[in-house]
Amino acid sequence: MAVTQATSDAHSVVGKRIPKLDAPDKVTGATVYADDMRIPGLLTAAIKRSPHAHARIVSIDVSKAEALPGVHAVIHAGNVTQRSFGYGHDNEPLKSRKVRCIGDEVAAVAAVDAEIAQQALDLIDVDYDLLPEVDDPHAAMLPGAPVIHEELDIEGNVSMRWDFETGDLAAAERDSAVIVEGTYSSPQAAPAPIETHVVIADFDPTGHLTVISPVHMVFMYRKELADCLGLDWQRITIKQPPVGGSFGGKIDIDTHDFITVLLAKAAQRPVKLALTREEEFIGARTRQPIHFKLRTGADADGNITFRDAEVVSDNGAYNAWGSHAMLVAMNTVTSLYQVPASRVRSAVVYTNKNYGGSVRGFGNPQATFAVEQQTEELADALGIDPIAFRLQNANTADSTTTQGLEITTCGLTECLEAVRDRSGWVERRGTQREKFRGLGAATYIHVGGGARIYGSDGCGAMIKIDDSGQVALISGSSELGQGSETVLAMIVAEEIGVPVDVVTVTNSDTDVKPWDVGVHASRTTFVAGNAARLAARGAKAKLLEAAAETLGIAAAELDIEDGMILRNGDRDTAVPYAKAIRRRLLREQSSIIMSSAFYDPPTEKQDEGFIGNISAAYGFGAHVAEVEVDPETGMIRVVGLWAAHDVGRAINPMSCEGQIEGGAVMGIGLALTEELPVQDGRFLAPNLHDYGMPTAADPPRIDVTLVETIDPEGPYGAKGIGEGGIILPPAAIANAVADAIGIRPREYPMRPWKVVDWIQRNETSTVVDQRTGEASA
Amino acid sequence: MTAAPVAAPAAEVFRPADVAEAVRFLADHPGAVPIAGGTDVMIDRRLGRLSTGWLVDISHLDTGGIVRDGDDLTIGATTTIRSIETSRELADTAPALVEAARVLGSVQIRNMATLGGNLCHATPSAEMPPPLLVFGSSAALAGPSGERSIDLADLATGPGTTSLAPGEMLVSVTAAVPDGIGSCYIRQTIRWAMDLAGAGVAASVETDGDTVTALRVGLGAVSPIPMLVPGLDDIAVGHVLDPDVLAEAAARARDACSPISDARGTADYRRHVVAVLTARAIRIAAARARGTWPIDRLAPPNGFDPEVLPGRENGPVR
Ligand SMILES: Cc1cc2nc3c(=O)[nH]c(=O)nc-3n(C[C@H](O)[C@H](O)[C@H](O)COP(=O)(O)OP(=O)(O)OC[C@H]3O[C@@H](n4cnc5c(N)ncnc54)[C@H](O)[C@@H]3O)c2cc1C
Repeated sequence: MAVTQATSDAHSVVGKRIPKLDAPDKVTGATVYADDMRIPGLLTAAIKRSPHAHARIVSIDVSKAEALPGVHAVIHAGNVTQRSFGYGHDNEPLKSRKVRCIGDEVAAVAAVDAEIAQQALDLIDVDYDLLPEVDDPHAAMLPGAPVIHEELDIEGNVSMRWDFETGDLAAAERDSAVIVEGTYSSPQAAPAPIETHVVIADFDPTGHLTVISPVHMVFMYRKELADCLGLDWQRITIKQPPVGGSFGGKIDIDTHDFITVLLAKAAQRPVKLALTREEEFIGARTRQPIHFKLRTGADADGNITFRDAEVVSDNGAYNAWGSHAMLVAMNTVTSLYQVPASRVRSAVVYTNKNYGGSVRGFGNPQATFAVEQQTEELADALGIDPIAFRLQNANTADSTTTQGLEITTCGLTECLEAVRDRSGWVERRGTQREKFRGLGAATYIHVGGGARIYGSDGCGAMIKIDDSGQVALISGSSELGQGSETVLAMIVAEEIGVPVDVVTVTNSDTDVKPWDVGVHASRTTFVAGNAARLAARGAKAKLLEAAAETLGIAAAELDIEDGMILRNGDRDTAVPYAKAIRRRLLREQSSIIMSSAFYDPPTEKQDEGFIGNISAAYGFGAHVAEVEVDPETGMIRVVGLWAAHDVGRAINPMSCEGQIEGGAVMGIGLALTEELPVQDGRFLAPNLHDYGMPTAADPPRIDVTLVETIDPEGPYGAKGIGEGGIILPPAAIANAVADAIGIRPREYPMRPWKVVDWIQRNETSTVVDQRTGEASA
Repeated sequence: MTAAPVAAPAAEVFRPADVAEAVRFLADHPGAVPIAGGTDVMIDRRLGRLSTGWLVDISHLDTGGIVRDGDDLTIGATTTIRSIETSRELADTAPALVEAARVLGSVQIRNMATLGGNLCHATPSAEMPPPLLVFGSSAALAGPSGERSIDLADLATGPGTTSLAPGEMLVSVTAAVPDGIGSCYIRQTIRWAMDLAGAGVAASVETDGDTVTALRVGLGAVSPIPMLVPGLDDIAVGHVLDPDVLAEAAARARDACSPISDARGTADYRRHVVAVLTARAIRIAAARARGTWPIDRLAPPNGFDPEVLPGRENGPVR
């Protein structure tokens, strides 16, 4: 399906197309997910949620629920010990005074089965005093708007501001030949993993707590669990079962995690909570809508002069970590292409809506939709081909952006050239209006070498090699379906010099695995990969020492190739590595072969002015989308998608293509169909039938080109690629729609009824300020 | 607030030997419900919309399959949607049925789902009623007191309700497909597979030379029950299908429906789309009647085909 443009080299494992090691188990149904686990005495939990978007809790009466036979615990804010949690401590597991969005948790039960748990929920009486609600962030900022968090010392429901300015904006405006201005909005969307959230909590008789939860960030999860519930975190084990998809939805701790532990404590029995499909949409974290008002200027020679953005993030009822999507959005405004002057004035605003989390792409699809549509509007206003315009302004290797992002390797130019040539852009853009077809492009910059959002951005790795020769990697990181176990196994096999099938990867639980921040920000191959590589290097040295000792040869003369220990490269006298280990182990005074490493990338947190090199490498990519627009029904079909991504090095080209294709399909969903509309206090699409997730029949064939730039810091030169694919489709498709029918989409998803409306209103609202004296269009 | 799907209370399943035994059992066990493919029943049970102690499994009963006898095309109630989709006979004589069947759910769903289930579940957006309505179909029902035949338009009485009497079941549907009738079914959806219609439109056209002798348009998903657009004979019969007639037919369809706003579109948009799809479906059906539509070419799901309907003909119908 995809084309790979990879450099050839001497690696024996790295660069090979290896199917995911966990694929056979997953496709045959053998994988045991949290919901498949059977534990004696396990109770079923269910959560009583608010049907109201904003209300004061007057009283909660649980007496009838408690009296129902089969019910073991009924909890609410009044009968548990909990503290506030979340970024800025603005949230509580069980709400004590107020509910701030539909789905807010007010009580929970643990019962012998799901039916009784549901009956018990129905028996809980909650008396609410309804409050005026606000679901629009602009309205929430106005004087007199309902106050969502009166306990916080903030104004206009603005939970935080992220303001940045660099360069001389006034001068840049004066130097501009053209300035384009527009607004760009995105919807609330869901990560929608197929496995809903499942949490199992169990206290043993000594009080040691074990939690089974498919969360990415197990160590921070444990800390927050202990802090919020007043537990001793040394007496907590977090087990991580296989994750049935997350896309960021399961990244960190959420209300239902605390609630399950509280129920286990109250019931003194193991408790399992499995969110229903509907709850997964209503009661788990979403992708935040972000509204951009953007201006970009360019001089007469086609150089970008400035960008100026006013950004409002509608993060919903609580901050969670979704508030930080602004960090990524800001990077794109200031650092995609060479932008000498830029300004971002942004507000994260509370509204009475389900709140944002850290969904794949984390603010970047939203920002790129604004920035990259404006790039094409600007190029068109200048009369320059949009890809030529991008090439002229492209970021380059060994440069530093105004926000302090140190770009080491950069394949943006190669990516643009690849999608331009493969899509037939030059001949075809702007020529297919009669067929209602058009082409649009978009590019991105995204962290690709970790992201220092927390103090540490590190990950640990341990390797042991046993008497069979099995090489066990115990990684701090986790497999979410993104293929990291396969990539980590490949890195270890390459580094030690053994076949990949002798490597096992364990990332089971906090008792076993070394510390790691957790999977986010496309960091696993880069950060966990470097940690694994360092540990493998150590293990190899020990292995060679052991071999040297048993063979009576100096270690410096030995090396391992494909599992054989060679002396000065001589194959005739080669010894299998496992034999050398066995001789070492099965003697008196023996020792095990084990090695550990911790890798924390050479980066820094942003300072108060939002300047700092947060990632050790940056990923780049370009897409060209081709669409066919039905001008009467407004239905859009994506008929072609060309994707080129700078992956540093494709450790496993098949995995890279899978990440890019999967991301692109999610991006097509965002662009065209995915949103969580609420009408009259009711979610209209809280299920997979109504929520517009694309099916396999929706995307076109996706043409993938992998561009290798061999990053100096990445493992074997690799950079992160987990999020790249999802960032571009909304922008590229919007640009293609503009090419096809001359309409400029100001928001996504581009639902057919909106397209019809735009056509009827002739929405070509690009505001162009031609500074040479010509009139605005 | 959100009713968590609860495991449905257990039901017993009865497997009758034939239709007669099925209706006897249904009559003797008030509340017993037929289950054919189960693609609606199982979901209704899970969501608590259907609780019954008895399910009567009719999926294996022989209801005659797909048979053409002169102008009459009879399809048994237990015929799967997949067999309709892949029927050579239907592709030749009634492509609207194939076009409706082919977009219903997924292959897995279509392998289980039956025509009878689709009609008797009476979902407003169901795929099969509009094309059957434009063929002037009747429904054969079997009940404890024998068989009767009704106009298919009288089967559904509201969302989820039918005129089936207690103990009665649908046995087959008979459509009138005279030689030379052209037909088409297209729909609007929010994605291109596994989706319910936001609006579904079927058309059938009969012609004598260039003159229209019969025109019917059936609508799904835009009214409480699938419906035929009234008054089309007045404007079309005896006329050539020119843009004015198409526009008038589209306007009548738009005015006749009564859509709601939901995740698949606003009411205003759906009315607009009904007009668009009506004109398209009539054009394609007419092209088939006249033999100018490529044989074996199914209409694109939404009828938009810049190659087959090029230039101005594709422009907005007002
Ligand atoms: C994922 C999914 C996607 C779907 N997509 C579509 C779609 O795109 N378009 C669409 O129209 N539908 C769709 N459906 C709905 C469903 O598949 C169809 O309505 C199907 O035709 C029902 O047939 P069945 O045999 O499975 O019916 P069942 O579930 O067995 O029965 C449905 C109802 O009809 C009654 N019944 C069945 N047969 C008879 C009979 N002979 N006499 C009297 N009563 C009878 C049953 O008692 C029940 O009330 C979808 C369903 C699913 C699960």
